[in-house]
Amino acid sequence: MGALDVDYMLGLVPVLLGYLPLTLQLASLGMVLALILACLFAVIRVLRIPVLNQFTIVFISFFRGTPLLVQLFLFYYGLPQLFSALTVIDGITATIMGLTMHFSAYMAESIRAAIVGVDRSQTEAALSIGMTNGQLMRRIILPQATRVALPTLMNYFIDMIKATSLAFTLGVTELMGATQKEASGSFLYFEAFIVAAVMYWIVVEMLSWLQSNLESRLNKAYSR
Amino acid sequence: MKTLLATTLLVLSLVAAPLQAQEDTIRVGMSGQYFPFTFVEQDTLKGFEVDVMNAVAKEMGREVEYQTAAFSGLFGMLGAGRIDTVANQITITEERQKAYTFSEPYVYDGAQVVIKQGNEDINGVEDLKGKTVAVNLGSNFEALLRNLPYADEIDIKTYDSNIERDTALGRVDAFVMDRVSASQIIKEKPLPLELAGPTFSQITNAYPFKDTEEGRALRDEVNAALSALRDKGTLREISEEWFGTDITAP
Repeated sequence: MGALDVDYMLGLVPVLLGYLPLTLQLASLGMVLALILACLFAVIRVLRIPVLNQFTIVFISFFRGTPLLVQLFLFYYGLPQLFSALTVIDGITATIMGLTMHFSAYMAESIRAAIVGVDRSQTEAALSIGMTNGQLMRRIILPQATRVALPTLMNYFIDMIKATSLAFTLGVTELMGATQKEASGSFLYFEAFIVAAVMYWIVVEMLSWLQSNLESRLNKAYSR
Repeated sequence: MKTLLATTLLVLSLVAAPLQAQEDTIRVGMSGQYFPFTFVEQDTLKGFEVDVMNAVAKEMGREVEYQTAAFSGLFGMLGAGRIDTVANQITITEERQKAYTFSEPYVYDGAQVVIKQGNEDINGVEDLKGKTVAVNLGSNFEALLRNLPYADEIDIKTYDSNIERDTALGRVDAFVMDRVSASQIIKEKPLPLELAGPTFSQITNAYPFKDTEEGRALRDEVNAALSALRDKGTLREISEEWFGTDITAP
């Protein structure tokens, strides 16, 4: 049991904090794009749009059925080998692509479940008073589906923040990459990684707090 | 919402940043995890490789742009044209010469077995039979181990980094690396390691380039800069600063 080098840890905090924005940017952009894609997939699946539906089923199956790291390597190292023009996919782009596709596959299923979970009688009621399909979605189904899907989606976002740590394998120096490099220069592994771990932890805790706030606001209409 | 928009714009601008480097920039890949050749301290990329490449680029009148990635990804980046060369103690091997063209060597070194302090069982490479040995994935040392006549009796474990750590912890019996950096780690870092026996293979290290017209032109330019630096004594100075000896001459 060696002593911890506290001075080194304190010195590392500002350095690693400088990489937190990139980590958060990768995750936020991945999340926004994944949400858009997932909503599209969910609607395609619910309405069973021919051809698109089959495509979506295969897409979801592939991106849920393979490890994220394999997908990242496919985008970053694999595609440029087939089409040399695709060298324009740099590490950051490949990471965002990977996060978007991987997580949209998962999120599509939970959004679909939330939509299908709204009782069918409500759809019938809305249509019987002359609402269009769009109105039905906007006014009746989505507000309720959002509330149901929110905790799951938040979980995926938290997962995504942690998944950005794989970006280092594509040469993107984010929080994990910066930590790994500092550690292999100083050989003070425990100190370096515990600082990084605490940073991830604090970010996720802040998000959890945000989530419970959002949930209580969404639940207001339903509390009796 | 505003911040989200700003973030999105920021990332998009990052993504859209021109990948084609300026004409007068040389893009160099390194792991940033190979003390004391390339490593990071307080967010600054340092090491023998950084100093030499900076001198080479200055001699060529070019800017350097460093890109760090895991060692096993560096050749992939070179092949995909993401970088122009690799500065990471790349050993010239027949295999690699088939795929790349190399500059003149600028480091002469040897392969070294390193063990946990006090390990009496291993006194050289021939004692690795029946042992577990850590080595960097895709490195020349991995190839050296696999080419030993008794390679099938060695349990070779490949890593992207941290082989020194796993040896110090006793998870593996030994690791194989170059003598120069192994000696330096033992001298400067808090890991209970020692060298086992003499070096078992001489290695010469150089910059690899893509074997294309552009790659060969850049190689010639780098060679001219290296020989100018050799004549000025700059290579020797940088080496002595880092290692106390000159590893840039045979």
